[in-house]
Amino acid sequence: MNSSWHNYSSHNAGQFFDEMITDAGAPRLAARHAVKLLQALSGPEMAARRGAAELAIREMGISFTIYSEGGNIDRAWPFDIIPRIIPDREWQKISRGLAQRSRALNCFINDIYNEQKILADGLLPADIVLDSGNYKPQCAGVTPRYGAWAHVCGTDLVRNKDGRFYVLEDNLRVPSGVSYMLENREITKRVLPELFEDYSILPVDDYPSRLYSTLASLSPRDRRRPCIVVLTPGIYNSAYFEHAYLAQGMGAELVEGSDLFVDADDCLYMRTVDGPARVDVVYRRIDDDFLDPEVFRKDSSLGIPGIMRAWKKGNVAIANAPGSGVADDKVVYAFVPAMIRYYLGEEPSLASVKTYLCMHQPDRDYVLANLDKLVVKPANESGGYGLMVGPHSSAAKRAEFARLIEANPRNYIAQPTLSLSTAPTFINGAVEPRHLDLRPFILQGRDTWVTPGGLTRVALVKGSLVVNSSQGGGSKDTWIVEGKG
Amino acid sequence: MMMLSRVAERLYWMARYLERAEDTARLTKAYTHLIMDIPAGSEPGWDILVRILDAQAQFSEHHRACNEQNVLKFLIAEEDNPGSVHFCVRAARENVRTTRDVLPEEVWEHVNGLYLFSQEHAAKSVGRRNRHQFLDQVITRCQMISGLLMSTLCRDHAYRFIKLGALLERADMTTRIIDVGAGALLGNERLSTAVDPLIWASLLQSLSAMGTYRRTIGPLVEASTVVNFVFREPTLPRSVRFCLDGIRRELLPLTHHEAAIRVLDQSLQGLEQFNAETAERQQLHDFIDHFQLELNTLGNMISSTWFMSRVETSGVDASGVETSGVETSGVDAPGGV
Repeated sequence: MNSSWHNYSSHNAGQFFDEMITDAGAPRLAARHAVKLLQALSGPEMAARRGAAELAIREMGISFTIYSEGGNIDRAWPFDIIPRIIPDREWQKISRGLAQRSRALNCFINDIYNEQKILADGLLPADIVLDSGNYKPQCAGVTPRYGAWAHVCGTDLVRNKDGRFYVLEDNLRVPSGVSYMLENREITKRVLPELFEDYSILPVDDYPSRLYSTLASLSPRDRRRPCIVVLTPGIYNSAYFEHAYLAQGMGAELVEGSDLFVDADDCLYMRTVDGPARVDVVYRRIDDDFLDPEVFRKDSSLGIPGIMRAWKKGNVAIANAPGSGVADDKVVYAFVPAMIRYYLGEEPSLASVKTYLCMHQPDRDYVLANLDKLVVKPANESGGYGLMVGPHSSAAKRAEFARLIEANPRNYIAQPTLSLSTAPTFINGAVEPRHLDLRPFILQGRDTWVTPGGLTRVALVKGSLVVNSSQGGGSKDTWIVEGKG
Repeated sequence: MMMLSRVAERLYWMARYLERAEDTARLTKAYTHLIMDIPAGSEPGWDILVRILDAQAQFSEHHRACNEQNVLKFLIAEEDNPGSVHFCVRAARENVRTTRDVLPEEVWEHVNGLYLFSQEHAAKSVGRRNRHQFLDQVITRCQMISGLLMSTLCRDHAYRFIKLGALLERADMTTRIIDVGAGALLGNERLSTAVDPLIWASLLQSLSAMGTYRRTIGPLVEASTVVNFVFREPTLPRSVRFCLDGIRRELLPLTHHEAAIRVLDQSLQGLEQFNAETAERQQLHDFIDHFQLELNTLGNMISSTWFMSRVETSGVDASGVETSGVETSGVDAPGGV
């Protein structure tokens, strides 16, 4: 073993589940070959591989934009070269659980915008759903093809100390990150090609064609090649790179709102040099609020006036369907296991995290009494903004959150602090454990499909649990490996 | 092959800005050489360059005196002069940044490289010492990018709109370069006999046309033959005629080309009828003014036919990129802990 792995297992001392190394310090079965090979690399050799990865990232122009006070900065994508390895047998079960969850969530959204049976049956209080900003009354009465609303879902999973995966949240609006999952594999192939010799790794690079098939299955017109566009807010958006990447991967047009218009026939067209061309499916990467100034925010210059009309008439498919966000509310999250039983008559196969709803008096009392042990999250923010991790918080911060919760209990939930699993990560010449999560992507059209693996995000700061790229997180290639590895 | 109007528009402006950067560099280089050839005291002023580009108003916003230092700063390095080399390079890059997906990979790398070069050197290259090298680099890099486009791009709409932009810009700049000749000598008759050939020769050089001129016309450089040659020689790639022929060829395969072709044919006809042998300098200048207006009309026609079907595109001329997409709040940020 070379020095950069020195004392790796003693870092954790059994507090966390490590993805690669057991508490006894031995490599896990599926990771055996990889650990052996990586440990045989000298420190300088590891650094050289890492340098090669950084070069590849610059050359491939992989970047993301973060918002900051000093203006937007285009940053290279931080990447850790040591892959995360998950055995296929374990993954199949997770994958089934994700598909089950996605089906139930789509049933729920379709129910809410139509019969609202689940509310009538009293499984969850109507006001939780209908008073939420994520419920869009403008979408009522619509049933998109196959009853599918959230066609692309990014579900965040974490592995707790017990070694089990838990669902942290579902991103049903405009989940991003899939292009990084694809690029990470490309980079690993370039910089650690020898690792691939000993493994049979499920490929991920057919994602763009899976996405294409999913979107094509939604087309209102039966055409051999429906016209699909990727709608981006533009170059200044943090995920513009991904929008362009996916458009290219699907052979679809990358469009901005001003490229599209709805004509008198309530169909959607794009402006081309040969005149208007009818659009069948819009894979939109802008939020509901900006989608149609006639219906949502009137000051939006990103959207297309009339697109909601075209959608409601069934003349164009929008993915994800407007209003899908009603199911990724963090309060609604608490009811997903009940939804699975209600709509599918099945037991949930993925575990959820115990969730305290501050709107309920007993839960609120518990949360306020245990702020130092809990993670408190606003019901309606993404990107890790506005949350408080109790055990890492100051007394002042806890007092601030107590006030926020009292003022607006509906807007806050709390969960026990999970012990996010760790994985070996190459930091400043040494291999150290860092916390990570996993975001697989689930496609829902005529068929359901789950990415083999997903995007692993890793908190590069020692001890940190925040993995968001906007807050100093990086990522790892994620391998689902067949056989014993 | 479908092409979005917005993408066509950005490609067109990318090409216009690249051509403008190259042509402004050529013009500036030729004029600098010319000034060095003319005896001190009788050289024409630097203000001519500003007038040729019809940029007096913009110039006076930033500078008072029309001296060498100010004019060259204005033409090479000024951040907000839409005619300065650096501005053009930056605007070309912005247009490529948003159309990377329809262009060969290397185009972005080279345009970005040109931008980084200009960013670092433009301001330092206003003085005579570094000027020549800077301008040469800009010209070379622009030509490398044109060559790259020529040799890698499919002959589809993308190529077509790039060609249209480049040719229209070049036709405009070629007439402006001729105007230097007319302008330098207007009201300065005492110079004409001795200095005239020097001026016209340097203008030919700025169009890389000196060799061709010698071979086709002969070694003696004379105003009217130069003007006729640069206006009408159909085989010379920087002649006005060549540019208009090229524009016509690229327009024909486009739908709804009729109106644009009409305007173009009018210009071609005007060009054929103008004879430099019989025209006074003032007439030449007036003809060029009129001709530039026609090119302007053609440019507007192109944008209203193929670009303007979308929302108003104000501000596109300045940078080729609208600012409407800047709004980013709440959109598509990665979620989760």
